[in-house]
Amino acid sequence: MALVNKQYLFGRKITPVLFLLPGLLLYLVIAFGPSLATIVYSFTDASGIRGAVVNWIGFENFDEFLFRGVASRDNLDALKRTLQFMFFVTALQFGLGLLFAVILNQNKLKGRLFFRTIIFMPVILGVVIQGFLWKLFLLPRGGPMAEVWGWFGLQSEFLGGTDAFWWVIFIQIWANVGITMVIFIAGMQAISDELYDAAKVDGASGWQLFKNVTWPQLTPAINTNFLLNIIGSLQAWALFLVTIGYKNGTQVLGYLVYAEGFGQTSGSVTSSFRQGYAAAASVVLFLLVLVLGLSANWFVTRREMKYMG
Amino acid sequence: MTSKSSRNARWGLIGSYVVLLLVSLLYIGPLLMLVNTAFKTLPEFYQDPIGLASSFNFDNFTEAWELANFPQYMFNSIIYATVATVIFVITSVFVAFPIARGHIRGARALLTLYVVALFLPPALIPQFQLILNLNLYNTRQGYILLFLVNAIGMIVLVNYIKSVPKELDESAAIDGCSYPRFVFKIVMPLIKPAIATVTVLHAIGIWNEIILPTIYLTNSDLYPITRGLVVFEGVYGSNWPGLAAAVLMLALPMVILFLVLQRYIISGLTGGAVKG
Repeated sequence: MALVNKQYLFGRKITPVLFLLPGLLLYLVIAFGPSLATIVYSFTDASGIRGAVVNWIGFENFDEFLFRGVASRDNLDALKRTLQFMFFVTALQFGLGLLFAVILNQNKLKGRLFFRTIIFMPVILGVVIQGFLWKLFLLPRGGPMAEVWGWFGLQSEFLGGTDAFWWVIFIQIWANVGITMVIFIAGMQAISDELYDAAKVDGASGWQLFKNVTWPQLTPAINTNFLLNIIGSLQAWALFLVTIGYKNGTQVLGYLVYAEGFGQTSGSVTSSFRQGYAAAASVVLFLLVLVLGLSANWFVTRREMKYMG
Repeated sequence: MTSKSSRNARWGLIGSYVVLLLVSLLYIGPLLMLVNTAFKTLPEFYQDPIGLASSFNFDNFTEAWELANFPQYMFNSIIYATVATVIFVITSVFVAFPIARGHIRGARALLTLYVVALFLPPALIPQFQLILNLNLYNTRQGYILLFLVNAIGMIVLVNYIKSVPKELDESAAIDGCSYPRFVFKIVMPLIKPAIATVTVLHAIGIWNEIILPTIYLTNSDLYPITRGLVVFEGVYGSNWPGLAAAVLMLALPMVILFLVLQRYIISGLTGGAVKG
């Protein structure tokens, strides 16, 4: 009897829905809902202090952020810097990820697994350790990189100097190229050997094999990496936090949102929490992600139609 | 013609090793520097930062362990990572399975709900207001709550389940077991690589998180190890050997977890469609 009952329950359409609800509700309440609510907050003067009155102030935050505020000049610089960061990180991470994947997908190469593992390792170590490793390696007095610089008669303050922004770009790529590489390798391994064999019979050289077989067949991995790199680099900022802190001339939008929203604008000293204003900044970042993400998506879809028909 | 192409292939291989040599310097170099620094005494380090440590001196490790309240931070990190990952993985399989199999209406729309999360604005500020108003600011429960969802993890699970033939779970389902039992006993073993992947990535994400603890936790008894390390760095800023020892202790558990489950991760990420 009990058995029949259970069977009945399982057979009913409602059972899977009931068990799906906890996960779905958690997602809606903790992640999806708050994401959308950011847009609502951007039109208010919310402060982050409990019990404070929240007023609807229309586009004032946006107006202040982009045009009227004392900091609007700096904000526009941060916006430009965010785009710069995205451009260099995406281009180099994509290119190097592909190069590493091509190299480490050769069966003849010894130590393939070892190299894949060390390139992927920073992803496992996380941003605090990534930052620490490079602060140590880039020690301006007597560190290994300073030593190498010295061979060429050069000197740099690295993360403490005027080039700090570019060093963070370098660390960002170093830390995340492993993900790009792994996605490319997985894509390459899904390509059937027969395609290569057929091309070789036709006398194709290494470069021609890459151009005519690998590159078109790799389309899904190319699309994934292209989109992930663009969106990821627009939103990345934790490395700035751990390597150089909130310093003029290096801020990107993501860091700005955090600093304004949680009062970290002057080092670790808590100043004011301007959460409505910060929400407006994150909406600006969101629009950037949306526009660039959708254009990238349009671009890759067109490319896909060309190759995949 | 064959000799020309084999000569090209040889040059290709030599070029590959040259690139890999540079890669090794940039990837192994900082790690070696870290390990070497962790074994140095402070005067030794300041005299010559890159010289080899003169002996295996574990003082930095014991000192960092005691000074920085490390056992407490380590305990907190383990609690946060395990509790949140277990809840996340179990609730997510129950969401991913019916979506992937189309057992429920609107399965596609539900999946879209997770995919668009990649584009949406960061949830940082409303999330903070939510936790504040739930009275969970600066509590373990509130902090764990933040890590119970992961859109990318959900997408990985759905894609993997789609790659498993329907017949495998459907044939096992007939003999009258309850739905939760069916998911635990039949579905979960079938998608082990995806579960391993999602577990490792989610746990590592929690373990390495630094932004959320600085926002949500002000009581140092609740700090995870990352936050503890950053505080330690503020206090012992110039004690590089001590910091290096602390960093090594922070890294070790995740490196071990990764190396143990490494084999599963790539096949989990790519829907099981990958050869060797």
